[in-house]
Amino acid sequence: MKVKMSEFLMQRRHTVKELVHILSQDFKYVSVLGTDCHGKKYNVRRTGVNISDSFWNERGFVIRVFNGISYSEYSFNKLDENHITEIVLTIKNKVNDEIQKLHGSAKITEYPVIKEEKVEGNFIGEVDILPEDCSDKTIIHKLTEVKEKALSFSKLVLDAQVTFHEVQVSKIFISTNKDLYQSYVWSEGYITALARKDNNTKFNYNVFSGLKGAELLDEMNSKVNDTVDVAIKLLDAKPVEPGEYDVICSPDVSGLIAHEAFGHGVEMDMLVKNRAKAVEYMGKPVASKLVTMRDGATSAKHVSSYLFDDEGVIGTDTVVIENGILKQGMSDTLSALRLNIEPTGNGKRFSFERKAYARMTNTFFAAGNDKFEDMIASIKKGYLLMCPSSGMEDPKNWGIQCMVNYGIEIKDGKLTENIVSPVVLTGYVPDLLKSISMVSEKVEIEGSGACGKGYKEWVKVSSGGPYIKAKVRLG
Amino acid sequence: MINKIKSILEDEDISEYKIIETRTSSEEVFLVKKDIDMTRSKDVQHFEVTVYKDFEENEVKYRGSSVFNVEPTMSEGEIKKLVEENIFAAGFVKNKYYDMPKINNEKLENVRSKFSENELSDWMPKLIEDLYKNDSEEKGGINSAEIFLNKNYKRIITSYGVDSSYENYDGMIEFITTWKETEEIELYKMLTFSDYDPEYISSSVKNMIYLAKERAKAKETVKSGKYKLILRGSPVKEVLSYYVDNSRAANVYNKISTFELGQLIQGKEVKGDLINLTLDPKVKNSVYSEPIDNDGIVLNKILAIKDGKLQSYHGDLRHSYYLNIKATGNIGNFVIEPGSKTIDSMKQEPYLELVAFSDFQMDSTTGDFGGEIRLGWYFDGQKTIPITGGSLNANISNLHDNMFLSKEIQNENGFVGPKAIEMHDVVIAGK
Repeated sequence: MKVKMSEFLMQRRHTVKELVHILSQDFKYVSVLGTDCHGKKYNVRRTGVNISDSFWNERGFVIRVFNGISYSEYSFNKLDENHITEIVLTIKNKVNDEIQKLHGSAKITEYPVIKEEKVEGNFIGEVDILPEDCSDKTIIHKLTEVKEKALSFSKLVLDAQVTFHEVQVSKIFISTNKDLYQSYVWSEGYITALARKDNNTKFNYNVFSGLKGAELLDEMNSKVNDTVDVAIKLLDAKPVEPGEYDVICSPDVSGLIAHEAFGHGVEMDMLVKNRAKAVEYMGKPVASKLVTMRDGATSAKHVSSYLFDDEGVIGTDTVVIENGILKQGMSDTLSALRLNIEPTGNGKRFSFERKAYARMTNTFFAAGNDKFEDMIASIKKGYLLMCPSSGMEDPKNWGIQCMVNYGIEIKDGKLTENIVSPVVLTGYVPDLLKSISMVSEKVEIEGSGACGKGYKEWVKVSSGGPYIKAKVRLG
Repeated sequence: MINKIKSILEDEDISEYKIIETRTSSEEVFLVKKDIDMTRSKDVQHFEVTVYKDFEENEVKYRGSSVFNVEPTMSEGEIKKLVEENIFAAGFVKNKYYDMPKINNEKLENVRSKFSENELSDWMPKLIEDLYKNDSEEKGGINSAEIFLNKNYKRIITSYGVDSSYENYDGMIEFITTWKETEEIELYKMLTFSDYDPEYISSSVKNMIYLAKERAKAKETVKSGKYKLILRGSPVKEVLSYYVDNSRAANVYNKISTFELGQLIQGKEVKGDLINLTLDPKVKNSVYSEPIDNDGIVLNKILAIKDGKLQSYHGDLRHSYYLNIKATGNIGNFVIEPGSKTIDSMKQEPYLELVAFSDFQMDSTTGDFGGEIRLGWYFDGQKTIPITGGSLNANISNLHDNMFLSKEIQNENGFVGPKAIEMHDVVIAGK
């Protein structure tokens, strides 16, 4: 079923074009991004139900103008054809006021004017079940079934939270040379099981995501038993003995490593700020020859697949690492201008209210030729790392931190019943990537949650990879 | 607009409603080194509406609700359709019934801030000056920074009597400091504030430049093993937030927390300092300070834990009703009383002092906390050396019966409490 583009944005396109036309008489570059994203989040747990609008809901506009030296932006969420003159005046006053007041306190970096080819286009996504075709009643009913199944698994299950979240993204981008619009739907689901024995509490979760509608709900039932079973096993988990181990990373842990270890470090605004060690390694080996890593709106069909980014640049497929050699990073428009390179369509905003930065889209390690069983069999003493919970980048110094919910012990080439939890994976990124010695045949990608830049500017991304074998420090 | 929404809601068959209007104006400056890279500003208005619907099934009474946004560009027809859809949805939200008692309307004062004395744009040159005042070292300094200053207006209208509004300001500066000896390193810092305090900004920069210098000197980590740990800076807030989360009514009702009123939460035989926790809605210069919460409850100081014993839960209307306690409202700031030791006295024997992590995490459900170490110092009894790398992975339940809090106090990001925590036999994954 084709997604329906936002009527609100389509009705305001003419007004936005008028606004761009008027402002273009004073500013050499003017663009407007209009957004209308809406969705709902459904959550059921032992003690109740919650329905709320999505964290990602937004409806508004951001104008970018070339102010004669660099770029200024103004975000607002009231626009109708009767108030264009008022908005034009506000923008002119704000831009002049900022430049005048700030000019004495710091130097303003000079930028060239953005040059754009003439582009018109649109992208309308498809899902099996459109958001408007699945009632709240059906969604709550399906989530409740999953919750009840999880709660009935064992008396040790304290709670089971089941969440479904779907969002319809609609955007327009208009400048003198560009006229673009797009609309698509993504959804995500979570099963989180909480288990308790005496005063020991542990949790485990599974995620589901994609460019999908309510059809995602039917995938969730199959993972209930696994999720709860592991949560209960974690009650007997021991802390890991600190040290360096051979490990197999599950596809979601591989994805976290790709994202945190290398992804953030090749966001090109980091190069502009001299915050990325990657600049010293362009064209040089940074990983084992088995490693190829890609990012891009078109590199996979997942939650961050789009026609154009939040600066109106058409999305691409970037090969970041090819056979161990660092090839290229991902760029927003302004960083590309500073670095004199082509933008890759990775300029993304948390919402129309925030600045665009160079951000990841769908980031993953490419598949290899190894079989999972052979990978396990190759390890004398190590762990299979599963279920990542968070990670943090360190693009300047290439440290890596990944918090992983648990590891299953591998002894003499076989998985044992012993589990360690929680696990902190740390290391020096090139050491970790160069230690990759086996890569499995199938890539799996997930796009649940959100990616921040530092501790803010959340955007939707996906990440993943195959199973990888590496040597890492665990604690 | 708010009257239009109110009028639509009052025509519908609902039990209660709540409307939260926010208006925000902002000025933002993005800097690379000492140069301005970009400027931004915004003027936005938002409405968040909650509809409540009571219903019965098998003689059990429920109060369902649904929360949704109304955009200022929506027509009356769009709002009406949205309201009806959400009332319908609330009918499937089978939450145990809870009362929403009438709340008397009180005139609120704006949160006091010097920022109200000038236009937002007038403050940006001042904030830039304060930020770079102590950036005068040759080998290091501020790599990049982002400055945000928001003026906020908030109004809450409910069917149960509330119609209150107030204004406040919130500011945020994110900056990176670097230092180069043989290789350049960096550290990250985020400051938040609600009032103009130039000393707070410039002294934070000075401290972060010092820490960057120390990190540049640090070459390796300690050996794996157990250490006497002194935790400093923002991780102290994260660790102590465990007590805030576990005394929250919602977590107690949902059985995520096992804290019980009157319980000695650190155990019966505590060798170290006892926890004293107060929630304070009026902490100076905190972006979390506000006169009422989103249910419209007027906020006052709450003593939650005294001498390690849980005195009261804190939380929202719904979960407080379930626990049969008076709702305190949601309060964003917390205060932990200082402890018995000075930081100097904590350092009389070998210790590992940790001050910066890649991403310090505290899981209040399990009590697990830790992260990768970016900077610390190890004192072996004779000399002190800066260290970097390795990780901390510990559980508060195993440590808080022998934990000491510093006499020295910090006040940052909604937390007033000890500058340092001393813990014993903490496992570090090192070299």
